[in-house]
Amino acid sequence: MRLLTHNFLKSNVKGTENGYPLNIEVTTIRCEDSPVDKEFVLNMLPKINYPALRTAVQQMSPYCDPPLPELPEELHAVSSSSKDKEEEGNNQKYNNLDESVIANLHRVLFDVYLVEGWLVCPDTGRKFPVKECIPNMILHEDEI
Amino acid sequence: MSLNATQDYNLLIEFVHKHLDFHDAEIHSILEMHGIKIGVDCHARPLPNQPSVFRRPFMILSFSWSSIGRQFSVSDNDEKKENVINLVSSLSRCTLIRSVIELWGAGQTIEDCVQSIQSGNSMRRYREGKYLGSDAKKYEERTWKIHVHTLGSTYTREEQTKMRSHLAFLDFPGKVQMKNPDVEFIFIREVDLDEQGGAVYPRHSGVNKDIIPENDARPSLACYFGRVLGISSLGRNWRGSNRLEQYSLKKRVYLGPTSMDSELSLIMTNLALIKKGSFAFDPFVGTGSILLTAALRGAYAFGTDIDLRVLRGRSQNENIAANFKQYGLPPPELVRSDNAIYHRHYRDHLPLFDAIVTDPPYGIRAGARKSGPRKDGEVRPVLDEHRYDHVAQTRPYSVSDVMADLLNVAASTLKMGGRLVYVIPSMLDFDENEDLPRHECLRLVSVCYQPLQTELGRRTVTMEKNKEYDEKKRFLYSENTWVNGTESAEKVANIRERLLEAAKKKPDYAEKAAIRKQKRKATKDAKKKAKREATAKEVEGTGQSKCP
Repeated sequence: MRLLTHNFLKSNVKGTENGYPLNIEVTTIRCEDSPVDKEFVLNMLPKINYPALRTAVQQMSPYCDPPLPELPEELHAVSSSSKDKEEEGNNQKYNNLDESVIANLHRVLFDVYLVEGWLVCPDTGRKFPVKECIPNMILHEDEI
Repeated sequence: MSLNATQDYNLLIEFVHKHLDFHDAEIHSILEMHGIKIGVDCHARPLPNQPSVFRRPFMILSFSWSSIGRQFSVSDNDEKKENVINLVSSLSRCTLIRSVIELWGAGQTIEDCVQSIQSGNSMRRYREGKYLGSDAKKYEERTWKIHVHTLGSTYTREEQTKMRSHLAFLDFPGKVQMKNPDVEFIFIREVDLDEQGGAVYPRHSGVNKDIIPENDARPSLACYFGRVLGISSLGRNWRGSNRLEQYSLKKRVYLGPTSMDSELSLIMTNLALIKKGSFAFDPFVGTGSILLTAALRGAYAFGTDIDLRVLRGRSQNENIAANFKQYGLPPPELVRSDNAIYHRHYRDHLPLFDAIVTDPPYGIRAGARKSGPRKDGEVRPVLDEHRYDHVAQTRPYSVSDVMADLLNVAASTLKMGGRLVYVIPSMLDFDENEDLPRHECLRLVSVCYQPLQTELGRRTVTMEKNKEYDEKKRFLYSENTWVNGTESAEKVANIRERLLEAAKKKPDYAEKAAIRKQKRKATKDAKKKAKREATAKEVEGTGQSKCP
């Protein structure tokens, strides 16, 4: 499971108030480099919950060798001037980001895999297992 | 027909004779991916002798000749200019295209075709070296050949030479070279073809290969002549060889009974406008065959399924990730989740996916399950200490719900203009206009039918998101999925059972079933016997008895 996916997963067990973001308990991690795809990263950024990503990186980093790059506290977005170019505006918002920041973002989103571990609901503590990179999010019949 | 118009640059597209229903939809999608709209940037011209009774594997596209070199190119010459679209490499992405030809002339008979060439501009432009690649030789030095392509019939060398003699007026100065000439021309003689690609009026009778005079005397449906620009990147040349092989399912490490054949997967990714950098999603990923194809097209792949066994595969070396590795692709993102409650697994976010391509499970036997108690009634709470070993119960997931949920997920998670492409099996009672599921936010782009058996076929449906999704209307959308109520859904559910029912009604069913039963028993007995003999030999060898 890459951190891009983790950014969208939540727990919605019956009675949960806020099951996002899930806390990560690491058992095994794997790193695999891939070429930086700047366009795709910029495409994804408007949809990513950045604080959740930073927290996830902090939870995974102790287990990585070399440790994961540090992400800036805030991503500075440029406000888009023209309103009707909203689609492009989403991309252009982050266009002024430093190349190294983009490379770091790419690395944490795509190159780190949680192979074995747990995703823990911040609300109820329910643990969702991750085995062979696949998170098992299926709710049990009493949690629907 | 206006092939003689000096304004037009004409391309003849030859399709493979398969998936006839898909030709138009696929080429429209591929061109659209490159920003080319048929009817706006180019026009489809009628073939000679239209309308005809049988489907034809050709299409003529006209471009204004001034646009070639400016907006479009057919060789590598103009690629240095920005935003010039190379038509040949774009079209070669179509799975169903065999070849792309610069059309010089067309007509019903070879004489008509010759006349069409002589009154056109193509000969002159060729002499001037227009539209040739940057490494084109001078007119006098170009080696050439003319390939004669006769659909549905074979002609002897002498007969082919006679056809070529009509084209002698072209009078190319360079040398004829059969192998790898600088320029390859093609003369095509088209006749009526049936659904399987065989001639409707075959020239030769089956066994003796004698010529059937009435059929032989029939005039051709059309004759075309032109310069070959390109052959599909899949190598679907007219000699029948097929680079599709490398994607063949036979070579895959991990397969299941429902793995989608690679050709249909490729077509689906084209219909879904998937290209490099697309974000593709398959909510019923199974063994990942469709997702793999999307990744081969350069997409980021995300797949979910409720069935953990199929996600994990048979072993570490036989699973979805292994299939991806086999093709040198990075592993896909896989999550075990339930598409019926997608909105409960994934947080609210802006529309995410460029394309959703999938083969949903139809019917209980096909494994359509969703989360929830196996039986209605009081649900026993799972004790904390058992939580992590507990196998979640699942319940049957009706086809009408599968489709309603799929369309809702597509409408909410696709970007505007993003496409949903799915496959739906259907028997003869299915009516495309009435029985397809609908959604306010998705417009129907195309439906392509593929016959499988006499009564059974498969439809590939393409939809496009053209309206923003309103979360508050979720239940309203679901209610309106089926125009005819769940009656339509029932037509696609449990097809295996329905086929079995239909087969049982046939007169000789009981007889055939009895024979099959006998055969199965015989095979079983033979296996038992072989096993007994093998064990006996072992016992002899070791001097010990294995039986308790």
